[in-house]
Amino acid sequence: MNSVKEGIDFSELIQDDRIHGSLYTDADIYNEELTRIFYNGWVFVGHDSEIPESGDWVRRNIGEQPVLMIRDKTGQVQVLMNRCTHRGNLLFTNKAGNDHHLLCPYHGWVFDADGTLLDTPEAGGYGKQFNKPDFNIPKVNHVDSYRGFVFACAAEEAITLAEHLGDAAQLLDRVADMSPSGEIELSGGWLQHRFKANWKMLPENDTDGYHVASTHQSFVMATSSQAPDYVGEDSLPQVRDWGNGHTEIDFTPGYRKVDKTFEWYGRLSESKVPDYIAAMEQRYGKEEARKKLVDGPPHAIIFPNLFLAEMNIVYYYPVAPDECVQVYTPLYLKGAPELNKRTIRQTEGAVGPAAFLLADDVTIAERTQIGLRAHGSDWLDLSRGVDREEVDKDGHPVSHLSDETSNRAFWNHYKAVMNQ
Amino acid sequence: MLPYEEKERVVAFIHLEAQLADEARYDEWEALWSDQANYWVPRRDGLDPATQVSHINDNRARIATRVAQLKTGYRYSQEPASPMRRLVSNIEIEPLDESGYRVASNFLLLELAVQSTNDLHLWGGRVTHELERAGNELKMRSKKVVLVNGDEPIPNLAFLI
Repeated sequence: MNSVKEGIDFSELIQDDRIHGSLYTDADIYNEELTRIFYNGWVFVGHDSEIPESGDWVRRNIGEQPVLMIRDKTGQVQVLMNRCTHRGNLLFTNKAGNDHHLLCPYHGWVFDADGTLLDTPEAGGYGKQFNKPDFNIPKVNHVDSYRGFVFACAAEEAITLAEHLGDAAQLLDRVADMSPSGEIELSGGWLQHRFKANWKMLPENDTDGYHVASTHQSFVMATSSQAPDYVGEDSLPQVRDWGNGHTEIDFTPGYRKVDKTFEWYGRLSESKVPDYIAAMEQRYGKEEARKKLVDGPPHAIIFPNLFLAEMNIVYYYPVAPDECVQVYTPLYLKGAPELNKRTIRQTEGAVGPAAFLLADDVTIAERTQIGLRAHGSDWLDLSRGVDREEVDKDGHPVSHLSDETSNRAFWNHYKAVMNQ
Repeated sequence: MLPYEEKERVVAFIHLEAQLADEARYDEWEALWSDQANYWVPRRDGLDPATQVSHINDNRARIATRVAQLKTGYRYSQEPASPMRRLVSNIEIEPLDESGYRVASNFLLLELAVQSTNDLHLWGGRVTHELERAGNELKMRSKKVVLVNGDEPIPNLAFLI
């Protein structure tokens, strides 16, 4: 790995209770992030259920790099660079497909779904020194999955996915265990949303409980959401630092006090989803099923680019220092069609460029990006809650939902990665 | 062939709907809808809205919520509302049911994102309106907007498209 560009001292820019504005604007810092966070760390790429059959592939971005997540003929998920090894041509332009051979349209080179170069047209033109295996498509070195969530890490030597996730693996368990089959199915397609703002504002904002009452007050005023009952001075939900930059807004203390099922699902009446409840009880037993239906799915960030957004799965990628893309799909539960047909309508109401929540987050992020051009007060404050933060029984820092424990957790891990 | 006056009436409705949306005249726009309504912006044409997530798939109640949110004064993604103008053309009208019409048209929309970047956004696509007669008036039963770039990363779509 390249050394940190001279002159950038991340320990100076990221202090315990404040961060420097240049972290969102500086092109050198941005390039260093691509190298260290996206090209040498574990990143979320997709979900197993998106490519169920051999030859299935989807296009993705790791940082700025176009890649393919593809299931090869042995059933293994591979993450390949979306680039022909001959002259650099983009292999696939569509979003998804099924191909057992990857054909480059430029000169007709053909690759196997695991990246192996199979054929070069008019092969006689290549001399003795041409060694075919040298032209296999580069694969991302480490690909692993947990509960179907596929992550990749391009570093030569890497910690394991289990080490990267740490205790936050429980958050992925909580997502998958909302399903009566223990499996989720990301088959609803992705809404794609462009932000003219630095990508780090997304993980920060996604587990920031403080902004809800202000940024989203129009949502609160126009809908009958349960949300306003769970944010505010006396509310019980907490933010949590899960370690390694993974963060959460944990609503369960609030939901458990109310002790009603589906508070998290807009107070859905049990009578609307009897089949789902019966299937959950059959799999987990009555008591455990009820507990899951009181708690609901998590609201959490898996560092650096996955947002477990309750009944939505969300990820994002950087495009430029001042631009990124966030995408959303409904969290479909395998074996719960009755719930899924409601979930898609919830997704459309909550997230995406036209929905009632995220559009306002985008506007705020874009305004912040412009505000950061003004100097004089060059720091962003992150001190909220430092004096009332506690440690939970598992050793994770927690604090009131409106506190910046989650944002400090993100930046602490960011600093460690950037200083490595 | 549709009688000339009837055709003019339908075209005038399509132009009025576009104008009310452009000018953020929310109550007047909402009043164009019938009681049964579907306001639909799929990611692209040919997707099943039952399983494939759309940008917008509002029934009548959700249209009311959308308008109510825009009117709060705190819908920051449309506060202030984007100055907009759209051109509507290539209008094709066909009879529908007893007394309604299916109207297809193309549009090109200029939107200025004054809430944040002040970028000028260019939107375009194909719209299908389903209109029904309510007494002497026309009402919208459905409006489907297929954006040219709906399945790409797009900026905020918080205004009335």
